[in-house]
Amino acid sequence: MKGLFKYLTPFAPDQSGVVSVLYEFGGLLVICDAGGCAGNICGFDEPRWSTAKSAIFSAGLRDMDAIMGRDERLVKKLALAAEQISGNFAAVIGTPVPAVIATDYHALAGMIKRKVKLPVIAISTTGMSYYDKGAEAAYLELVRQFCAKKQKTKNDRIGVFGANPLDMGDLMAAEKLQRYYDTISAGCNLVCYGMGAGLTELAEASDVQKNLVVAPSGLRAARYLEEMYNIPYEIANPLAIDCLWDIDYTGKRVLIIHQQVSAYTLRKELKRRNAAEIVAANFFMQIPELAEEQDIRLTEEEQCEALLNGNKFDIVIADAVFKKMAKNFSGIFMEYPQFAVSGKLVEA
Amino acid sequence: MSEKKCAVYYTAEELTERGKENIPTEFVSADHLIYSSPATLAFNSPGAEGFGVKRAGLAVPESVMLIVSPGCCGRNTSLISKIPEYNNRFFYLTMDETDIITGRHLKKIPQAVREIVDFLDKKPSVVMICITCVDALLGTDMERVCKKAEEETQIQVRPCYMYALTREGRKPPMVHVRQSIYSLLAPAKRNPAAVDILGFFAPLDDTSEIYAILHALGVKKTMEISRMKTYEEYLHMSEANFALVLNPEARFAARDFEERLSVPSIELTRFYDIDRIQKQYAALGKAIGRRIDDTAYYQKAKDSVEQFYKKFGPVAFSVGECLNADPFELSLALLRYGHVVPEIFGTITAENFVYIKHIAQISPDTRVYSNLHPSMIFYEENAKMEEEKKRNFVSLGKDAGYYHESKPNLAWNSDVQPYGYQAVEALFGALYELLDERDDGGREERS
Repeated sequence: MKGLFKYLTPFAPDQSGVVSVLYEFGGLLVICDAGGCAGNICGFDEPRWSTAKSAIFSAGLRDMDAIMGRDERLVKKLALAAEQISGNFAAVIGTPVPAVIATDYHALAGMIKRKVKLPVIAISTTGMSYYDKGAEAAYLELVRQFCAKKQKTKNDRIGVFGANPLDMGDLMAAEKLQRYYDTISAGCNLVCYGMGAGLTELAEASDVQKNLVVAPSGLRAARYLEEMYNIPYEIANPLAIDCLWDIDYTGKRVLIIHQQVSAYTLRKELKRRNAAEIVAANFFMQIPELAEEQDIRLTEEEQCEALLNGNKFDIVIADAVFKKMAKNFSGIFMEYPQFAVSGKLVEA
Repeated sequence: MSEKKCAVYYTAEELTERGKENIPTEFVSADHLIYSSPATLAFNSPGAEGFGVKRAGLAVPESVMLIVSPGCCGRNTSLISKIPEYNNRFFYLTMDETDIITGRHLKKIPQAVREIVDFLDKKPSVVMICITCVDALLGTDMERVCKKAEEETQIQVRPCYMYALTREGRKPPMVHVRQSIYSLLAPAKRNPAAVDILGFFAPLDDTSEIYAILHALGVKKTMEISRMKTYEEYLHMSEANFALVLNPEARFAARDFEERLSVPSIELTRFYDIDRIQKQYAALGKAIGRRIDDTAYYQKAKDSVEQFYKKFGPVAFSVGECLNADPFELSLALLRYGHVVPEIFGTITAENFVYIKHIAQISPDTRVYSNLHPSMIFYEENAKMEEEKKRNFVSLGKDAGYYHESKPNLAWNSDVQPYGYQAVEALFGALYELLDERDDGGREERS
């Protein structure tokens, strides 16, 4: 039935996507929740939490705050924290509680700006969408607010959008991407926004020769920079190729379940290796221009179960959690961790 | 020059001077943002380590849980699902925006229950429906929804409330869940030789003297929900002659036992001060009209305390709150045993304020921090702590361990619960082992 999960646990939600992007930008991040959402984000969806400090707070909402709509209390708490902890900006991140009481984030951002004299990012996540929606909104808000003018182009710089732990599942993604580029274009510096590169680099995001979009969540920001500053972008996740086994793919029918840019990159590679048919399926964003007719936007677990067990594929490339529902699949299952699904990182 | 920022603390003396009516705002979590440091997360999230609502709700043998919520609320459950005993016990019915507006998710519950039952090899004893903040705000009558689901599916269905919004309310989630898990018990013929132990979701340590003491009082059957292997066995808990309540969060459950099952209860506290333990057993004996002979247990615990002191001298303890103890009671006990407690990470309540007063008398400079306060992002070891760390130093509790990464840590947070003199003996035994075996300069961690 719609919405019922028997094998899988729920996927990373939109508020986790926002934090995954903003984590390294030095802001005061306030999750508008009662404590549980912040716990889920910091304790599960943010693998950097145990090793690198970031100013992430729970608003600590209580029932009467929600019932009475006491936004001024939140503003007061945030202002108090801003006095104690300096930050580059304040971010207010939505969860189901403010969604239920229809919090006006625009008004809330205005109230906060007047109190804390910091740039404010307010993102109306609900906890009911997936992480990529939140990550997309965060990237876009960052470039809109902090990338205000065109800088002189530096031909040795490539910006990267979409590199965050939820999309890449790899805390070393920035270094690995740089290593990859070192092999194909020596002297090229990758600027992974939110993974190694912070607000200073983002403020100069208009100086890059091009942007690389490694996940759908980064596309809107890249498009914004293209529209504003005429910076071209390329869509690919070169790291995806690492999941492929060294076997003969000729004539094989392959199902890829992963974020769409990874699947798109894998498809190109598999075509080059003469695979016969490649279907990309996922529960997350689908960018029309990356999709092919046979691709599938998954919405329900049982749809995924039917796809895996339909005897249509020789090879499945997906997170290991999908294996347990592929009971009748007898082909090759190539594990490709998807952190937003299983919370499992790519092994170093 | 910019002012150096630091974590806010109050000394025990300052707190005592202010009194329990004037607890500093830094200790009132509703007054500030909450810093979810790794230390905090260990205990302050519904997905917390140990038993949060989700794990606790599955304490009933052969039960399964359906989490009906926005996807985000169930996200970290995969951490628990990896534990073998929770395999195939968590299911999710995720909500969307339309559900919030129309409440249609509630109508789906009976069908979801049916599908889960069909999916499982064995019919569950009960399906716990776990709902979250969203339904708290929608005012969902979950009792009615569960009743309807029961009628339609012929399976027992019970509510379980993971309402983080009500954490500081009259009935917080962890209190509520303790009521839920006993709500399936029906009145039964009394067994005068049976006692229930309420309060925890894992058993007391097998070696706790409380079992022997109860046995000496004529108790033949001690029942804890975590030791009940089958649903059938669990149902026998309503036969108890009386219940011992070992955690104040089980008070509402104990009241239900009394009102619904006519099982009265006696509340006991976990102490680490052996004199308090002795007094409590004496009081228990008085309440039931029998003398309790705890001399041997007392002596054994005392020996363990003394042996530790003799070997390591006064040890400096950083005491956290993510452990099987009240941090203030434990700190006071450690001070009374001759040790040093330069700092405590804790949540001040009216109940534990009494310990702070006593701590202030012995160690007025002991610093008390709130793990939840935003300024904890700046926590650094201060000069005094540096000095203390030159002697034998141990952090107690997972949270305290986070602040002192390079020093020996005893997490003391096992699911199995230490209790009574046994807790004291086991604690000092574990500390002895930790310090005895430590590698100079290296970090030892124990649970």
